[in-house]
Amino acid sequence: MANTTSGGASAPKPSSSVKLVLLGEAAVGKSSLVLRFVNNDFQENKEPTIGAAFLTQKISLPNRIIKFEIWDTAGQERFASLAPMYYRNAQAALVVYDLTKPTSLIKAKHWVAELQRQASPGIVIALVGNKLDLCADAEGSGDAETAPSEGGGDAETGAEGAAADVEAETQTDTNARKVPKREAKAYAEEESLLFFETSAKTGSNVADVFTAIANSIPESSLKSGRGGGAAGATQAALSGAANRAEEARVNLGERGKDVKDNCAC
Amino acid sequence: MFQFNTLVQKAQSLIDPSVAVLSPTTERNPSKSVLFRHQFRLPDSQSPLQEISAELFIPTTHTRSTETSLESNVNGTKYAGELHLSESFLCFSTQRTSFLPNSSFSASSSFTGQTHGTGPAGNGFTLPLCAIRRVERMKSQSHVFTLALTTWNGMLVRSSGKDTPTVPPQRLVIHLDGSQHACERFCDGLKKGLREGTKEVDRLRTVVSHCYSEYLLERLLGPCRGNEKEDTYRREPPDAGLGMLFRYPGDARKLRDRSKMRLWGEYFRENGRNATLVRQPTFHKLIRVGLPNRLRGEIWEISSGSLYIRMRSPNLYTETLSKHSGKDSLAIEEIEKDLNRSLPEYPGFQSEEGIGRLRRVLTAYSWINEEVGYCQAMNIVVAALLIYLSETQAFFVLSVLCDRLLPGYYSITMYGTLLDQKVFESLVEKTMPVLWDHLVKSDVQLSVVSLPWFLSLYINSMPLVFAFRVLDVFFLEGPKVLFQIGLAILRINGEELLDVSDDGSFISILKSYFARLDESAHPKSENEKLRAITRFQELMVVAFKEFAAVTHASVAEQRAKHKDAVLENIESFAKRTSIRNLGPESKKLAVKDLGAVYDRFYEILYERQAKDKAADDEEKWKERQKLRPKFLSVNPMVSQEDDNRPGRVGMGPSPSIMEYTDFRNFLAKTAKWAVSDSPASPVRADQRNSTQRQRRKSASAWNDSAEPADHDFMQRLFRHWDESKQGGLSLQNVVNGLARLKGTGDIMATISYFFSLFDDQGNGRVDREGILSMSEALLFLSRRGFEGTLTPSDSSNAVDQLASATEPNAKRDTTKLSTSERFLGSVSAFIRRCFEYADPDHPANQKEDSPTLTQVEQSVDRFAIGDEDADEDEEDDLLEFLETRGNSKRPFPQTAVSPVPVSSDPLRDATPSCSPPLTARPKVQASNSNSGSSHTQTRAASHNLALDPENPLHITLATFRMVILADELLEQFFESFFPQSFHLSDAPNLNAASSPASTLSGNLTTFSSLGTPVKNLMSGSSTDKEGFVHVGRAGGVVEPGSRGLRGVLDNIVNDGMRMAAEMRKRMDEAQHEYERNNNSHLGPRRDEEDEDDEFDEKAPARRDQDEDLLEGAEVASIKTMRSDTAATLQPDLMGGETKLGE
Repeated sequence: MANTTSGGASAPKPSSSVKLVLLGEAAVGKSSLVLRFVNNDFQENKEPTIGAAFLTQKISLPNRIIKFEIWDTAGQERFASLAPMYYRNAQAALVVYDLTKPTSLIKAKHWVAELQRQASPGIVIALVGNKLDLCADAEGSGDAETAPSEGGGDAETGAEGAAADVEAETQTDTNARKVPKREAKAYAEEESLLFFETSAKTGSNVADVFTAIANSIPESSLKSGRGGGAAGATQAALSGAANRAEEARVNLGERGKDVKDNCAC
Repeated sequence: MFQFNTLVQKAQSLIDPSVAVLSPTTERNPSKSVLFRHQFRLPDSQSPLQEISAELFIPTTHTRSTETSLESNVNGTKYAGELHLSESFLCFSTQRTSFLPNSSFSASSSFTGQTHGTGPAGNGFTLPLCAIRRVERMKSQSHVFTLALTTWNGMLVRSSGKDTPTVPPQRLVIHLDGSQHACERFCDGLKKGLREGTKEVDRLRTVVSHCYSEYLLERLLGPCRGNEKEDTYRREPPDAGLGMLFRYPGDARKLRDRSKMRLWGEYFRENGRNATLVRQPTFHKLIRVGLPNRLRGEIWEISSGSLYIRMRSPNLYTETLSKHSGKDSLAIEEIEKDLNRSLPEYPGFQSEEGIGRLRRVLTAYSWINEEVGYCQAMNIVVAALLIYLSETQAFFVLSVLCDRLLPGYYSITMYGTLLDQKVFESLVEKTMPVLWDHLVKSDVQLSVVSLPWFLSLYINSMPLVFAFRVLDVFFLEGPKVLFQIGLAILRINGEELLDVSDDGSFISILKSYFARLDESAHPKSENEKLRAITRFQELMVVAFKEFAAVTHASVAEQRAKHKDAVLENIESFAKRTSIRNLGPESKKLAVKDLGAVYDRFYEILYERQAKDKAADDEEKWKERQKLRPKFLSVNPMVSQEDDNRPGRVGMGPSPSIMEYTDFRNFLAKTAKWAVSDSPASPVRADQRNSTQRQRRKSASAWNDSAEPADHDFMQRLFRHWDESKQGGLSLQNVVNGLARLKGTGDIMATISYFFSLFDDQGNGRVDREGILSMSEALLFLSRRGFEGTLTPSDSSNAVDQLASATEPNAKRDTTKLSTSERFLGSVSAFIRRCFEYADPDHPANQKEDSPTLTQVEQSVDRFAIGDEDADEDEEDDLLEFLETRGNSKRPFPQTAVSPVPVSSDPLRDATPSCSPPLTARPKVQASNSNSGSSHTQTRAASHNLALDPENPLHITLATFRMVILADELLEQFFESFFPQSFHLSDAPNLNAASSPASTLSGNLTTFSSLGTPVKNLMSGSSTDKEGFVHVGRAGGVVEPGSRGLRGVLDNIVNDGMRMAAEMRKRMDEAQHEYERNNNSHLGPRRDEEDEDDEFDEKAPARRDQDEDLLEGAEVASIKTMRSDTAATLQPDLMGGETKLGE
């Protein structure tokens, strides 16, 4: 079962493993994000995670290889008491909410608070709003406004950042967004979290999240990878994901500056 | 052995077992009933009524003839065992057990040992009494009782009239093995039960008709019956799950489904089916090799016992659905999320049919057990069940799973899951120490791997076909199977697992193992037979052979061992989460305070719940006794497990709303003043003994803690905290309320809050009644801090601090007295000023008639319902009092000079700490000092009318603030005492209060340390917070009738006079003009007597109310205070009048 560590083969880059845990309300798409990241795949009806699922994936940074050991946890409220078991020793956490469900952001905030208080100090937390594909503004990842299907309401919203928190009811059926990007982003900044909006379905921004996390892990807290074993399934997708991650990383710098532009809501 | 048994039987027969069983102690401690029910998988309504050693004889071939002479038939199987009778079941098991209360526990739990594949019920039968058609007593040699049972086997489903001779009646022969007496008793019980049972036959018929076995046997027997029944009996096969529509998983041929079916058909023919099935070794073997698809569901039902629950209430499922149709719930919302992701690879669940069934079963269960509701993983389990079971069947199997087989697994806290993970880990540690050490060393958490195995019963870990094989055994033998399988998985993969050291590799090894379960376990073996053994078969063998020592008992033992730790973990997590999620308001309180509030809140609710449950049990028991031995109408789904006692957050859903009674309790544990002063009756020295007993009683009624008071103020607080007006407080409400009171530390906020408590209309006004209520509340709140109470119900303070003191400490007394009286003075001043500065509701109503003073005096008189008997002169007290006061160093110099707590005249200068809203007042103040204006007149007029119901008046917040800030003591009261009187994490006083020693009335004879509070009040009011704790602790335990009390009264009077005089002087200076005006407007006074009448009309109601609110002596104490209030006011007024006279 021992596998060949591709990182070691390609370059003498040091390889280190990072334990990452996914938390968030049920059915926000945690498992789908992982599946997208690990296998570049998407399943419409993914079985709910019982307890937790474990997957690994590597990404290659210029100076090192990061092997993510991903703990994908169950989202239902009552599984929350199991979570400490999974976020124990985690160096990174991905707290996911559903862009179309405001309560999921509240839950996400609870998780952030829990992590900040209970998880290992220095844990890197990323707040991720998933299901961007359900938002009419999903494709507007650049400056361009995707033409909102109805009226100028959305266009205005996009043009004027201040109007970003236009409530969902003013929006049309094509846009199920209920959590304004501004609101979540402001919260993320306040708590110094990484912040992304993603779509596991289209794959938009998914790799970026993991790359950003990889870049944010302080060098000092990186230990060399344990055992070097990775699940067989992850190998296949490895190179692709690493490449995507690489590209994403290149963009990262600019994006950091123009997050606002990214925001098409 | 035999002899021993007879001895036991004899001993048992001496004590009437039915009586013993009925005693409430066994009801409350139902471990034996529970064990009994678990062994035979009976509904919760059943309990062991009778038992007797017996021998079961099953003739092998009774297919041939109907009138076999059983005596002569020696071809058959004999089983020695125990025959049990419950309310509606007759059970026989070869697992020797005894569940009667007078047998030892070890005997009754013996079935929990190794069962050798038979399941806890062993060989034997579990016959519903209604399934027994006839019982005959057979002629037998000597004294042996022999019963021949004839069952309804196979006769219920076919149409009446034409009894087919092809179905031989099932007959069972039982030799009872006991004394004549015991046998007779047993038979009597059986007779009674059978009579009741006949009523149930119809229900049995319905249930049985859904069993596939009936259909199967009809088909098997069909050819013998001839064709004329074709139409009648060739009915549609009963629903045997989605598999009938969408195929069953696995390759039927590979699974040898057909031959299994045949074997089962034969077995049923010989040993009965569904309700009348007799368990023989073949039964257990047939289960081990895997059930055939169409019978799988039915056998699950029988071996799990869900069939018997379904028999109790066959329509529960449909009724539940229709009763709740259209309703919504959180559970339903959660269920909807998962419907499309439950075994999505099975075609049945890609169809609306399958999804619909899944939805209905999960929904129905969430209604029937709202505590569990819906837990992820249930969807997977139910989806799996639905492949083999009809909706109704799946519903009942699910309920058995959740209630009995997997207790706590799917509960809101999932404590069962966590607990079993701990148990599993400890079993691994015990059985595979090397692997365990390796896991620990490499920091691999086993439960992250194994948790899903248990939670979803291996269904989404293994390929479905194998998971169902595990389930087959699981339903028969119980939860220990999950452990055995889990251990076997680790054992088989042990070597590989030892080679890796991270979670990832660990998981992937097991994943690939599960994926290859169907492969040969020994692919390279020369031996063909060995090669044919699959990995799954190997797994089963390892599980049940190597880990045979894992029994129900060892699992139970481990569970008991780890239970507390697991629950504590969950609870601390729940607490942490809950506190963190309390919202921004809660941030005003310290975390440890929040923790204390949380603990206290739930402690109270649990006490309440436990009390309710105890009462409920009592009720149930009574009812049960009434109904016995009839059937119980108790909801068969309600589990009565031992474990289900309330009291722990970790165990599951908990009440979260605090009612007023609970709230009083909560306050009593939080604030000194909320503790009632009185036990049922006042404590007198001469009746100490009786009161002691009484007190103990009353204490136990409140769970050995201080009995809470009940007061208008507490009711107001409750109503005010109840933001959503739901008649109860959530933790959030309580925290918000406390945060507002305690969290701000801002006197203005506290004052506003206090005001708002009395602002009933929410219009910023407090009317006359409100003002009086306010002052009552002030007295109520302060009575422990500043004033001794006549009959304290808890004397902890006294015990703590003064247990040895037998003589009142004069010095302390006096200092204490000064505080009390000073506060009293402040309150009286408060009332007066409130009325003085009150605004009339209708300016038009203003009349300028009678002078204020008399009326105020009378208004105060309304409070003076008091006894002023204790008015002996105590001159030396007073002297000493003065002396002490002169000598003591106080932070407030003016107190040494004057007892009047007013540091500044409110009418002249605004209090320094005036807040913005108060600036609204300067107008008034200005007009006051500038005097003579119409404004003053207005006020004077309203003052006059203070108590005239014809002229409603009110004070506003601004007025209230001013009045409070005008008085130093009141200011201190709101600045520190009031907020600090809520003790959260720093609440030692009340723990002490509830300690048993503190209730010893002997301690009451001592005058408590009254000095401490005073000192603290003086010094600690603004600086030393701790001081006020002591105020609370030391507050007011006064022996009634003691010299000290008289001293208190005298001093109050005297000091009140002095204070009043002083105050009057100051007031006069400021109000010179005002008084003048007042004087000139005195005009024709109202007749005093008239006014008396007026008050009398109104007062009684109030008094009555008070009487209700305040018990016994507390009333007395308040009355006394009121009278004192009056007393203090009187000289004040007199002084005023004197002035006027001048």
